[in-house]
Amino acid sequence: MADQGLEGSQPVDLQKHPSGIVPTLQNIVSTVNLDCKLDLKAIALQARNAEYNPKRFAAVIMRIREPKTTALIFASGKMVCTGAKSEGQSKLAARKYARIIQKLGFPAKFKDFKIQNIVGSCDVKFPIRLEGLAYSHGAFSSYEPELFPGLIYRMKQPKIVLLIFVSGKIVLTGAKVRDETYAAFENIYPVLTEFRKNQQ
Amino acid sequence: MSTTCCNCGKTSFIRDDDTGDLVCSSCGAVQQYDQFEAHIGGINGPQGTFIRIGTSGSGSFYSYKDRKIFAAHNSIDELTQKLGLGSKKIEITTMISNITDSEFGEGNWFNVLIGACSYVVMRKDDCPFSMAEIAYVVSCDVYELGRMIVRVIDFLDLRRHDFPEFDIVHSLERTIKSSHCFDDVDRSLLDVMKKQGIFLIQCAVKWFLSTGRRPLPLVVAVLVLVAEINQVDVRLENLAKEVHAIVSTCRIRYKELLETLVKAAQVLPWGKDITTKNIVKNASYVIQYMEKKSMSKPVEKGKSVDRTGLDLEDVVNECLTRQDGYEYTVDGLVSRKDSKYFSSASNFDRGGINNVEMLEISAECLSLMYEKFLNENRDALSSRRVNSKKRVRLGFNFEECREWWNGKSELSRKLILKRLLEKDVGVDTMPPSFVAGQLKCKMRREKINAAKKRIKRITHPLHADIDDTLNHGNLDSTCPERKKKKRGEVVDGIDWEDLIIETLILHQVKEEEIEKGHYNALLGLYVFNSSVV
Repeated sequence: MADQGLEGSQPVDLQKHPSGIVPTLQNIVSTVNLDCKLDLKAIALQARNAEYNPKRFAAVIMRIREPKTTALIFASGKMVCTGAKSEGQSKLAARKYARIIQKLGFPAKFKDFKIQNIVGSCDVKFPIRLEGLAYSHGAFSSYEPELFPGLIYRMKQPKIVLLIFVSGKIVLTGAKVRDETYAAFENIYPVLTEFRKNQQ
Repeated sequence: MSTTCCNCGKTSFIRDDDTGDLVCSSCGAVQQYDQFEAHIGGINGPQGTFIRIGTSGSGSFYSYKDRKIFAAHNSIDELTQKLGLGSKKIEITTMISNITDSEFGEGNWFNVLIGACSYVVMRKDDCPFSMAEIAYVVSCDVYELGRMIVRVIDFLDLRRHDFPEFDIVHSLERTIKSSHCFDDVDRSLLDVMKKQGIFLIQCAVKWFLSTGRRPLPLVVAVLVLVAEINQVDVRLENLAKEVHAIVSTCRIRYKELLETLVKAAQVLPWGKDITTKNIVKNASYVIQYMEKKSMSKPVEKGKSVDRTGLDLEDVVNECLTRQDGYEYTVDGLVSRKDSKYFSSASNFDRGGINNVEMLEISAECLSLMYEKFLNENRDALSSRRVNSKKRVRLGFNFEECREWWNGKSELSRKLILKRLLEKDVGVDTMPPSFVAGQLKCKMRREKINAAKKRIKRITHPLHADIDDTLNHGNLDSTCPERKKKKRGEVVDGIDWEDLIIETLILHQVKEEEIEKGHYNALLGLYVFNSSVV
């Protein structure tokens, strides 16, 4: 933890983040295969932190406090873990869930762990003229203020979807590794500065 | 049964195969009902008039596909009729046929598709309907319609320049034309109102009031304001309902519009007296100013403000020196610490009034004075204006503008965004969401500083006083901000946010990170992270 603290106080690496802004990761979604058939009803009955309503959703929903995450556990033995704030946390949480399943008497393994989605967000601290951006980047963006206040920018390389708001706040989603998120932001930043509204 | 035609008396008839009706072969008159059949197929069989429409299948001549396509065309007819798009029917039908591979369809989704195609066709022609309106006619959710529209756009690959953005100006024009609220208004006045509306709405676009927001509530807000300025009685609720906009949102946009106009009004000599309560009465002056400003060539900001503002200021100053005895009737005056306010106050001083604070005159009074003065001193005004070319142009406006609205600015016509942004209407604002974000950020920064001070006081009780004095200069800079906030909302003591910030600081989280306000992410990463080594 002390290491983390020190890392936290280091200045932004301008080589990697020329904009000087590092998107904050908000959510990591990962999947893992426990490689055994599960009796969901038994899990729901034995585990206190589980909820199971087969009429609503065909998976057990389980939560743990630390790292604060939620997992969807399916009868096939596949599991989805959401809500972690870093890749390491996501893996740790998935391991914890697997351990819980093991303790309930299932021969759970930990196979094919994979990060499926990373969501990040940041604030460029200047307002953005969305109309102008939508006009000049029409091929990538969809801006329909009647439906959604943000501009949806589908970047091709890396393949990331960005939600860009007039307030200067950006949401980046669809990355499999965090560097994709960072790269997407560094790609879009010069474009955004082009459509910034200068402050008086 | 009669053997002669009931109309012409001839005796030759033809039986219509589909309906079984007897039709006169010479005049075409349908003969009296004669095809009642009792008990087809035995005593228990059905009874009545039977219409035969074919022989194939189960009593039907048409197959499922034919019927489906027939019904589809019917619903296209019906919906385009309801939307008033009869002339575009062919285009819409072709588009649907193209999308569905000439299969068309049945069911609710097909109506949504018709709605979506109507929307896309109209927007391609740059005269868009609002989604809310179409959704109302199709009787589905806006988002359901929106998803279908996005799919249609994707399918037809319309992301290029042949698919324009939603045109808010056209939306305004259409609303003013079609709304029943403006039915009683005189046509020429309506025309003026339309131009003013376009002018205002383009200003609103420039002021970021439309970016990232639904366009219709802003249209309603602008129209209500314009109606109010022209003394036309239009209720916001009625207009909002008519265009299927949400009333409360319209009210918020209206308020924002007024607030921004108040900001724009600060350049007027009596600007400090203008608040959201009396802005409507002063709106004519503000708009007149903005109109002139937008007509002037874009030059450096400070200069142009002075130049256009000068005439008005001089005039009112003179006015004030002549007549001092006006009563104090300012309602809801808010003192603003705005540099423009101070500069105009100093102008008052120059004009001969020493104690501006004592002599407070309502905006209405001032405008009355100004009007009066204008009447009396036309000659004086025009003679003064010989000096510069610019002034000559302004003077022309003054004389013409007994009617304050000029309508000659380019902003009262539709402009493309780039041209629109180049125009200067005297005031430039930031998007409300951005301003709110900055305020939040500032607040967090204050909380961080306060938390650091609290921590310091506990960890180094002996040095706390010294540090306080050392930091004094630093704190001073944030002092006015702090006072302002305390007035707005009571932040006595420590709330949950302070505690979280304290915790984060103790876990050595970067202050810039805390300032962003993603507390959950930070707590997850740095605080509840004991098991990660």
